[in-house]
Amino acid sequence: MKNLRYRQYRDRLMEMLLVAATIIVLVPLLIIIVHVVVNGFSALNWEFFTEELGSPSRALQERPTGLVHTIIGTVVVDFLALAIAVPVGIGAGIMLSEYPEHMLNPTLRVMNDTLNGMPAILKGLFAFVLIVKPMGTFSGISGAVALAFVMLPIIARTTESALLSIPWTIREAGLAIGLPRWRVVLSTVIPAAKTGLVTGILIAFARAAGEAAPLLFTSFGNNYLPNHWSGFILEPVDTLPQRLYSLAISPYAEWHAMGWAAAILLLGFVILCFTAARLATRKRFKT
Amino acid sequence: MLSIRLFFIALILVIFTISCGNNGETDTDVQALTGQTASGEQTSRERRMGLIGAGATFPAPLITAMADEYRDITNGRVTLNYQSIGSGGGIRQFIEQTVMFGMTEAFLSDEVMANIEDQTGGTAFNMPITLADVVPTYNLPGIDKGLVFSGEVLVEIYLGRITRWNDPKIAELNPDMDLPNRQITVVHRSDGSGTTNVWTSFLTRVSDEWRERVGFATSVNWPTGIGGNGNEGVAGAVINTPGAIGYNSLTYAILNNMSYGSVINQSGNIIEPSYEATSEAANIDLPEDTRVLFTNTPAEYGYPIAGFAWMLVYENLDQNRAIQTERQARELIRFLLWTITDGQELSELLGFARLPQAAIERNYAMIEQLKWNGREIGREILEEEQIL
Repeated sequence: MKNLRYRQYRDRLMEMLLVAATIIVLVPLLIIIVHVVVNGFSALNWEFFTEELGSPSRALQERPTGLVHTIIGTVVVDFLALAIAVPVGIGAGIMLSEYPEHMLNPTLRVMNDTLNGMPAILKGLFAFVLIVKPMGTFSGISGAVALAFVMLPIIARTTESALLSIPWTIREAGLAIGLPRWRVVLSTVIPAAKTGLVTGILIAFARAAGEAAPLLFTSFGNNYLPNHWSGFILEPVDTLPQRLYSLAISPYAEWHAMGWAAAILLLGFVILCFTAARLATRKRFKT
Repeated sequence: MLSIRLFFIALILVIFTISCGNNGETDTDVQALTGQTASGEQTSRERRMGLIGAGATFPAPLITAMADEYRDITNGRVTLNYQSIGSGGGIRQFIEQTVMFGMTEAFLSDEVMANIEDQTGGTAFNMPITLADVVPTYNLPGIDKGLVFSGEVLVEIYLGRITRWNDPKIAELNPDMDLPNRQITVVHRSDGSGTTNVWTSFLTRVSDEWRERVGFATSVNWPTGIGGNGNEGVAGAVINTPGAIGYNSLTYAILNNMSYGSVINQSGNIIEPSYEATSEAANIDLPEDTRVLFTNTPAEYGYPIAGFAWMLVYENLDQNRAIQTERQARELIRFLLWTITDGQELSELLGFARLPQAAIERNYAMIEQLKWNGREIGREILEEEQIL
């Protein structure tokens, strides 16, 4: 009996430790979210979504000012990055999981992990040398390339593990009816692993959406909307994480408030992505 | 399966829009070019133009406000995108030719000037646009304002020799103040900064010892003190540390309700930092290229810790890869001209000192030399505006 009770106590103790660990993880997150919302809510008004930022004197003289160009710019740059990273990342993931015997794979795996661990600012530097210098100007597309390098290793990794989680019998079934290998991957393995792929893409997207460092010397920033909408791709573009930083280090209280509001937007955006990823994975267990 | 198909459709759409974007850009470019040759009777949308500049953080409020104003008065024709990335960044990107102009609080060194001359066949101009003033900021409970410093005292504090606020040397300058027996915490910038350049150049000019031991630059080997990143880092450290002394630009100190002291200038006058006193400091015999530091100014009522903030442009504008068309170069020159004339009206409102007339004259002379493929477009614009 004593032995059993001792075991039960030990079990309860371990459970309490785990709950404590969970709370320790959640509390700072909650504090951050509450703090950001409390500080930024007052600056979230209609103009915030419809006006350009302009100069600080606009905010000081209470003329309309907002971040419409930043919001659009963030969406354009992030989705452009996604469009670049997804095909390449999923391709690399397929390579790692479906062609394990290929001689390039050991190198690819090491390179992918290196890329994942590399500081984001170096990816920005790479995009600077690759695109900004030859183009002669900062641009949204160079920012997108830098962010694509942030997304790429994550997408490749999650694709690989999602595909590996599909039983080999499914592939064997496909091969048995005479399908070529690439057709097996495209038509049976990928659809089966769909939710895993979507999750990986969303996680990569959310991760890249919060990066400011790779954008500093690529998309550069802008206080206005471009003259022509193609300017979102070919000219300097504002993005939320980077604008958040520059608003925060400015000396103006009005800009600080806008910075908090920008943080709400960015946080909401990221939480939305992760929630979507969560929902996508949950569906898999239902069916 | 459906969602994958949808995804690929979306992907194709994105790629399609990108290529469309490219076409759109070339179209407007072509129209802009033909429009120009056909006497400029095009709709305003095609005549719109973006200029890009980057650099010093200190003049950013003024430059961006000028950009706002200029966009208004040109009816949206010219939009200037200025990003504050610091003086060092401004010089770097100017040399990398990713911006049409750079802004800096430390003028280009002879070495950099020589390199640019080798590469572009012309010089780079340092054009003063506004003035930077650096004030000693402090945190002494009970003494909100009016503390007086001299160059010697500031040097001794920053060398770590005066360590308490009731030191006789400080008391001598402030006979009416009840100085506390409190330790002085020295705060300086930890990043490369034009503000540090102005501050240390003042200390260098008033003290031989400082010149030999530390010297002046955008970042130096500080003998003592703690570092703060950016104006905001120094301000944060000073505001949160009773007994701290730091240095910030005047505008920054005012906007953040910091205490700042007056400084005794070369003529022995106690100068309270003000925009007039800063403008007065620049009222000296300027060299033609305006690459001069006038800290410890000989001007009788000039504030001694002040310097220019310069706009950097290439003499041969066509050699700057960031400027692609002659029209862009012309708009850049027009904007430049406006900033040193009508644009100066915005100064006081935003907490900046106006350019002295001597600096404006020097700027005219430099604008006159600006060229596009050998053509003197700077002179042409000055003639158009009836300044020559």
